[in-house]
Amino acid sequence: MLDYLVSIILTAGIYAIFALGLNLQWGYAGLLNFGHVAFMAIGAYLTVLLSMNGIPIFLAVLAGMILAGAAGASLGVATLRLREDYLAIVTIGFSEILRFVLLNWSSLTRGSFGLFGYPRPFQDLVGMRDYNLFLAGLVIAVLLMVYALLEALSRSPWGRVLKSVRDDEAVAVSLGKNAFSYKVQAIALGSAIAALSGSLLAFYLQYINPNNFQPVETFYAWIMVILGGSGNNRGTILGALLLWGFFSTTRFMEGYLSFSPSASSAARMILIGLILIGLMMFRPQGLLGREEELSIGR
Amino acid sequence: MMEQLIANGIIYGCIIALAAIGLSLAYRILNFANFAHGEFLTLGAYFALFFAAILNLGFPAACFLAIAATAAFGVALDLLAWRPMRSSGASRTAIMILSIGLSIAIRNALIIFFRPDALRFPLPVSRGMSIYGMSITPLQIEVVLIASAAMLLVHALLSRTALGKSMRALADNPDLARISGINVDRVIRFTWAVSMGLAALAGIMYGLITHLNPNMGWSIILPMFAAAILGGIGNAYGAMAGGLIIGISQEISTAFLPAEYKIAVSFLIMIAVLLFRPRGLTGGG
Repeated sequence: MLDYLVSIILTAGIYAIFALGLNLQWGYAGLLNFGHVAFMAIGAYLTVLLSMNGIPIFLAVLAGMILAGAAGASLGVATLRLREDYLAIVTIGFSEILRFVLLNWSSLTRGSFGLFGYPRPFQDLVGMRDYNLFLAGLVIAVLLMVYALLEALSRSPWGRVLKSVRDDEAVAVSLGKNAFSYKVQAIALGSAIAALSGSLLAFYLQYINPNNFQPVETFYAWIMVILGGSGNNRGTILGALLLWGFFSTTRFMEGYLSFSPSASSAARMILIGLILIGLMMFRPQGLLGREEELSIGR
Repeated sequence: MMEQLIANGIIYGCIIALAAIGLSLAYRILNFANFAHGEFLTLGAYFALFFAAILNLGFPAACFLAIAATAAFGVALDLLAWRPMRSSGASRTAIMILSIGLSIAIRNALIIFFRPDALRFPLPVSRGMSIYGMSITPLQIEVVLIASAAMLLVHALLSRTALGKSMRALADNPDLARISGINVDRVIRFTWAVSMGLAALAGIMYGLITHLNPNMGWSIILPMFAAAILGGIGNAYGAMAGGLIIGISQEISTAFLPAEYKIAVSFLIMIAVLLFRPRGLTGGG
């Protein structure tokens, strides 16, 4: 029972961090990142590859965050001067290309075999038996740190400019703010946060495979952000808990239904698709959404 | 060797072009990037398979029926989803996320109904002929001929018919189109029917030269967007040229790169176009 609770805290917590990165980009800055999972994959793979080659884990995590931030910033530079949906097309494409590269660059990533047996932080100190409990504590600590950082940023002048760019770019620009640069910064920081969540996911799973990073993962984060109300960090965390609650109940129910594994995962995906459709048609502001923070319904 | 790659590129490019025309028209007239477009290709291909197997029709008749069914599905979808979204004043973002949800739902519904395995159309295997040292099957030639005929038909539709003219008017200036008495909802439904009919045809042809699986449309969504952007969004002729350019460059790249990476070529072309010619090669749109 405790193991089950710990595993829920781990997955929901890791995905909450992942979704907070998206909330910064979408909720604060109005940027359509449809390939958020790519940055999680960069974090996971770079952390694992570097630490397998003897780089200290802390530095490896940091390197993943920097690379993901740089990748996010470059996609932003290529598209953010154009209409906002180009970013959506380019990021979703990037996430698929990255997955192909990870699958096919076998000499580096061992392709669909995946990577395992890599070091995890403080593994010798904590020991195998209690490691997940320790990791859950670490995930909660990181989640609180990211949350505190984003809350502080949203109250800072930087966050206020970002929201003003989201609401009316022309006003922000006429006040002398470089809207383009603010957006690129938001996408870089959000991508770095996604990379951090990817490193934690790698520590938890002990095995990573390019197919952990399917495009649908991005839209889990979108559901979490929108459920909780875009721009609302606490709402995003609540959204992560709700979605993960939904996943564990459906997994539980599958025990009673005689579906084949592929059919039951497809049925769950159909539900995810219907949730996205239903949210957009009937409740685009989410459950906790505040009208004045909202940019999706308009 | 190179001729063979160019020939393959033209065949693949024709399919991308047909898909990109529909994507581009819908993008311009409905004003959003439709991420479910790939699933409309898949749906068309599976409809054809289904009609051929269940109704015991000849394959061409099954294809016509599949195109009509996909177009009808497009009109139904407009009544059920897109129109309520338009009339509630939903943002483009909300509509795009809805299209993602639709894409996920359709793809996985097909996995449940037809299982995830690869399927083939019930046709005899087409034997390759040697033409100037290239190996080409009669089926591939038919694909190119039918795609060219469909493109001519689109051209005739856009330039000669009143509906086509209203479509172009709506794309150029929605407000002006509305006050000049164009029935916007009707033109939009017609656009969906054309866009999804073309998608179904592209999907059937893609299934003919490769095979069917529930992921087939999603797997080429990136080349489709690249072709539409390369041709200038909303420009049907640009999308045709864009599709051919993307198809040929992807195939030629396999001479230098592992074939798995050919889809990355369309991504790079798309980024380059966005950086240097964001309105497409022809500058229109």
